[in-house]
Order: sequence, then C-alpha cells, then structure tokens
Amino acid sequence: MVTYDSGANHEETPGNGFFLRRLFSTNHKAVGLQYLWLALFSVFLGMAMSLIMRIHLAWPGAHIPFLLVLGGMPGRFATLPLFHGSLMVLFVLTAAPQAGFGNYFLPLQIGAQEMAFPKLNVFSFWATAVSLLGVTAAFLIQLQTGIMLWVASVSVFCAAALCSALNFAVTTIDLRAKGMTLPRLPLTVWAWFINAILGMLIFSILLAACLCLLSDGLFGTHFFSAADFLGSQTASVAADVLPAVWQRLFWFFAQAEVYIAMLPCLGIVSHLIATFSRKPVWKERAVVLALCGVGLVGFCVWGEHMFSSGLNPFSPLVFSVLASSLGLPATVLVISWFGTLWNARIRLNTSLLFALGFVSLFLSGGLSGLFLARHDFTSTALTQDFVAGHFHLVMGVAATFAILAALFFWFPKLFGRQMNEPLGNLHFWLTFAGVYCVFMPMHWLGLVSHAAKNPGAHLASVAEWIGAARSFITAGILITVFAQGIFLFNFLWSLFRGERVEDCNPWRATTLEWSVASPPADDFDAREPIVYRGAYEFNVPGVAEDFIPQHIAPDRVAKAN
Amino acid sequence: MPGTIAPPEIELTIEDSRGGGGGGRPPDGGNDDNDGDRGKNRRDGPPSPRRFSTGIAIGMVSILMFFMALASAFLVLHHGSKVWVAVRLPRILWANTGILLGSSFTLERARLRLSRADVAGFRKLWLLTTAMGLLFVAGQLIAWFQLVRQGVFIASNQASSFFYIFTGAHGVHLVGGVAALLFVLLRDFEKSQISILLAAEITSYYWHFMDALWIFLFALLYLSK
Repeated sequence: MVTYDSGANHEETPGNGFFLRRLFSTNHKAVGLQYLWLALFSVFLGMAMSLIMRIHLAWPGAHIPFLLVLGGMPGRFATLPLFHGSLMVLFVLTAAPQAGFGNYFLPLQIGAQEMAFPKLNVFSFWATAVSLLGVTAAFLIQLQTGIMLWVASVSVFCAAALCSALNFAVTTIDLRAKGMTLPRLPLTVWAWFINAILGMLIFSILLAACLCLLSDGLFGTHFFSAADFLGSQTASVAADVLPAVWQRLFWFFAQAEVYIAMLPCLGIVSHLIATFSRKPVWKERAVVLALCGVGLVGFCVWGEHMFSSGLNPFSPLVFSVLASSLGLPATVLVISWFGTLWNARIRLNTSLLFALGFVSLFLSGGLSGLFLARHDFTSTALTQDFVAGHFHLVMGVAATFAILAALFFWFPKLFGRQMNEPLGNLHFWLTFAGVYCVFMPMHWLGLVSHAAKNPGAHLASVAEWIGAARSFITAGILITVFAQGIFLFNFLWSLFRGERVEDCNPWRATTLEWSVASPPADDFDAREPIVYRGAYEFNVPGVAEDFIPQHIAPDRVAKAN
Repeated sequence: MPGTIAPPEIELTIEDSRGGGGGGRPPDGGNDDNDGDRGKNRRDGPPSPRRFSTGIAIGMVSILMFFMALASAFLVLHHGSKVWVAVRLPRILWANTGILLGSSFTLERARLRLSRADVAGFRKLWLLTTAMGLLFVAGQLIAWFQLVRQGVFIASNQASSFFYIFTGAHGVHLVGGVAALLFVLLRDFEKSQISILLAAEITSYYWHFMDALWIFLFALLYLSK
C-alpha cells in the first residue's frame, strides 16, 4: 500500500497519512462521494430550518429553544429563510446532482479513468466545504458582519462551481473512450455537460456581482447601495437605477440557477425511465435538443424576474415570450417520458417511483409557472405564497425527487449493497403525499390573497379557512420530515447491513458504469473500454437479453434462439 | 452502422462478457495503489493533452463573462447617472498599454524561436515578455498611487470604484498570466506530461486574451469620460 510520492514517511504515521490521503484524494469517485455527504448534511440542516419557520408561522407564541439561543429577535428569524435557501439551493440542489453524482459517474459513463483536472476537482470540493462553513457561521454571528461573510462564502462557492464546471466540460469534450461519439452519450452525460457550460457562464456573473457587493461592504463603494451622492439627485434616480443593477445581475444568475439545478435532474430522470421501461428513450435526439434548449432559454430569461420585482425592463413582452418558450423544451421532455413509458413492461421499484414522482411534480409545478410567466399576472399578484409554492414544487421538491431516484438507482454501484425496497416505497408514498399537502394549499393561499386585492371581492367566507390552511401546511411538513427519517434510517441501515449485490449490473442497464465492479476499484479498468452503440439499446429484436451494454462488441452479443 | 447486431454464427452469453473490466481483472504492474495524479497513466499514457487547450478556451469564455457582467453594470450605472464624475485617467496608462502590446509581440517572437528549436533565443525573449508583464503590473500600481495622491479613492464615486475594480480584477488575472510565463520558463519539461511547445502555446492564448481584455477595458474607461 505504498505510493511512491508519500512512501517516505508512510511508516511513521500510517493512520494519519492514510486518513489525509483519503480526505484529499484526487480520485473522482472519492470527490463525488464527498459532495454527496456534504449535500446530505446540508439537506437535513436546511430541512430543520424550514421546520422551525413553519412551526413559528403556525404557532407564533410557541417557544422554540433553538431560536431563543440565538436571541429570538425578529431580525434573527428573518435570516432563517436566507439560511434555509442558501443551504438548499447551493449545497443540495446545485452540488448533489451535478458535482456529487456527476463526479462519480461522468468519467465512468464515458469510459474515462479520471476527470480532466483531478487536483482542480479536489480544490472545488474543499472550496465548497469552506463555503458551507462560512454560510453556517454567517447565520450564527452578528447580523452586519454575518451578511458580509455570507456574500464572501457565496463568492467562494461560485469560484468552486466554476472550477468544477470547467472540469466537467473538458472531461466530456476530451476524455471520452474510443467509440463514445456524441450521439452515443447517455442522457445523463449530456445533461451534466450542458449544465457545466451553463454554469461556466452564469457563475462568473454571480461572482462579479458578489465581488461588487463585497467591495460595497468592505471598501465603501456604491455599486448597489442607495448612494449618498445620488441621494442629492431626484429620489427616483437612486431608487430606480441602483436596485435595478443588483436585481439584473442577481436574477440573471438566479433564474439560470433554477435550470442549473434542474438540468442534471432532467437527464437522470430520462435515463431512469428508459432503463426501467426496458425501452429506448423515445426520440432521443429531440431530448438532447430539448436539454440544450433548457440551457439556452435558462440563460436568456433573467428578465422574467423583473416583472415580479415591479420593474419594467426593456420589453416585458419579449421576456414573457421567452419565459413561456421554456414550455417548448419542457413539453418535448414530458412527451418523451410518456412515449418511453407507453406500452412498456415497467419495473416499478423505488428508483422509478421517485422518477415518476419527479414527472408529476414537474408537470404541476410547470403549470403554475405558466401563470407566473404572464407579465400582467405577476406584476399585480406577486403573492409570496404562490411563488413560494411554485418554485419549491419545481425546483426544491422535484429536484430532490430526482436526487433520491438517482441515489436508489446508483446505490448498488456506490456501496455494493441494495437499499431496502419496502422501506423505500413507504418513504416515497409518504413524501409524495406530504409535499402535495404542503404546496398545493400554498398555491391556493397565493390565489386567495391575489383575489383579495381586487375591489368587490367578498372573501369573508374564505378568511377563516386561511389560518386552517396554514396549520394544514405545517402538519404536512411534519409528515414529510418524518418520512425523511425513514429515508435516513434506510440509507444508514443499507450502508452497513443492506443486502449485498454480487452482480455488477443488478438493474441490467446498458451504460459503462455497470460494466465494472461495485463499488468500482480505483484501477477499475486498465484497458480503455470501446463503445459500440448508443446508450439505450433495450429490447433489440433478435437478441437473447432485453438489453445490450454499450461496451459489448457486436460479434459477442448473444442472439435469440 | 457499428450499432448493428452480431453475426449469427458466434454465440456467447452476455453473462460471460459482462463486467469485462470488472473486479476480476488482475492488476497490471506494481503501482496500482496510486490514486493520485500519477496513477492515471496506466492505459496508454496520460489522458490527451488536448484537455489543457480545451480547458483554457472554456476558462477564457468564463473570464470574459465575468468582465462582461462588470462592464454591463458599468454601462447601466453610467447611463443612469446624471452626476457621473469621470476619473481623469493617469497618463501612465498609455505607457502600460504600449508595454502590454509589446509583450504580446515578444511572446510571439519567442514562440517562433521555439518552433525553430532555438531554445536560448526562446528563453531570452520569454524572459523579456515576463519582465514586460511585471512592468505592466508595476505601472498599474503607479497609476493607482497617482490617483490616490490626487485624492481619488475606490469609494470616492462610482466611476472611481469601477476604475479600481476593472484594473484590480484585470491585474489579478494578469498576475496569473505572469505566473504561467514563469512556470514555462522554470519548469523542467523532461519529466512533464506536456511538451514545452504546448505549454508555451496555451500560455500565449491566455496572455493575448489578457492583452485584448485590457484594450477593451481601457477603451471603455476612456470613452466613458
């Protein structure tokens, strides 16, 4: 076990050296797993924050020990949503599907030995970890310094995401195995690749915005503050121009960030649906184009959020059209999912259940998004509950479903064991019911308060239901969080006691990662695999098995009798 | 199409060939425990050096986006403000610009020498390029000091904020370029994965990019007076 770069002092401190080498390993699988652990930690922390918020909303008088420790001030409570949001968006939705699963499986799926720049990869992970530490610390310390620390941490996160995206893009372009042409790439790889390109563009914009904000705080510049020298001007100049710049930069990023979180999920779900339907992805080319379209539109729709902030940018109509045009690639994806499922002999397991749950949430969330894309609707009816319901349903919960589907799917490859199916089923159904109980009433609340703004509306009969709806939402959250306890138990139990998987390809899937041992050894394949066909060759006529792995040479494929 | 199905005379089960590269494969050589960078070259050498060219190309797009975000913020604020107090650009910036343009020229001359296998000439010109890069950085710092002596600070007004942010961010990126120049000069390429030709080429892309970026920023600052 001696490597020739650290062999000299290996004898004296075996435990320490081994530990450090594992911790700062440049291996893409180690880095991917570290990202997943980071996301798991963040998701439970973020969930605890949302629980505190909802309990507080439902029973404002209740004494919550955790908040009392922090001083229990209203300002303190107001930072909870920020903390919850940054944990969930940055360290779960951005980190897990892209950096976590991507780092682990992208090189395996394209037949590469490593990421293009392994050391850069380690740097990305540790910068992300430092950023998580900073965001958490920012929440605990005094408010004014806390917010600067938060901005600094987000800048660090952006830098890490940029390095990671660079790695993904270059790996996909240059390190594909022989025969792995672009049309043969699995859809997961396509999604990770497009996402990396999108990330390269928008994280640099957020980084620039964060640096300006930091310099406002540290050096007293006036990029975003209501500057005092503008204060001598008409108030409207200061009020209009300055926040507009910040909003433009921020939403340019934030809108695209939604697609950053969604893109890998779309790829994963398409992949899973095809694998468990035992059918090729229906209209695979169109799906790839749709993924590109999501990336492209995602980059262009930042102005959409301007309506919601009451600011009329250059032309509301243009952005409205753009925002609605997202419906086109989304529709292509949905049609392809149903086309793949059509007439299929489906293997309904927890992984596919979560993928189908994603489809359901994507559809219902997407429909409410169509309301929001109408500029006349949002300028008058930006009611917190409707927006909160919409983006949680699409971005938060749907993406989480895709992450869970991916986890159940790849768990045998990651750890060599299977997750428990009955527990997984229970977890799915409780979560699925729970999130609909939470977010559907939220939409309704938003619509009711929208209607309340119209003169002549008589809502007295509804008013008494509003409080009840809020309590109902909180109860729904409690159920959902309880279900996540089941998941945590299932996950940890399966990690140590789960049924061992002897077969390296338990799902009978086609892509390259299933051609190596579970978990893959570090030197899993000294010989470069050769790819002979596309990623979704299921139920090919004249073949004995109902699938043909990508790396099996044509003359070695067993034919049907 | 390579995706077509087997000739029928050969029959093997998929079971046999599945896991073709799996756990059962014997390790090759004695160094299979390396999980670091060096463990990679077990196939046919390290992965394609093309990844460095691709990486720098994509990285440059990203850096460009960063500066475009700043530039668009600059334009929006400049356009929206009625009391824009432009920074009087120090004269030394013209000299700096000349030096940076000259360094791009000497860099190309150096690469020409290298392609003709004139290593001594290459090193001399490359060193000159590096010195000019450092001179540029020093010139920018002098410009800062001159402004500070005039009482123009980063927090003075928006124009000055942008001036310091633009020059500062560009300077940091340019120092990275100087580091790359030094790396090519000092690195022993006998042991390296990439050739000095490739390293010099990649560095030259980045250096010319920094050059062009400075021209753009300088023009932006100059024209917005």
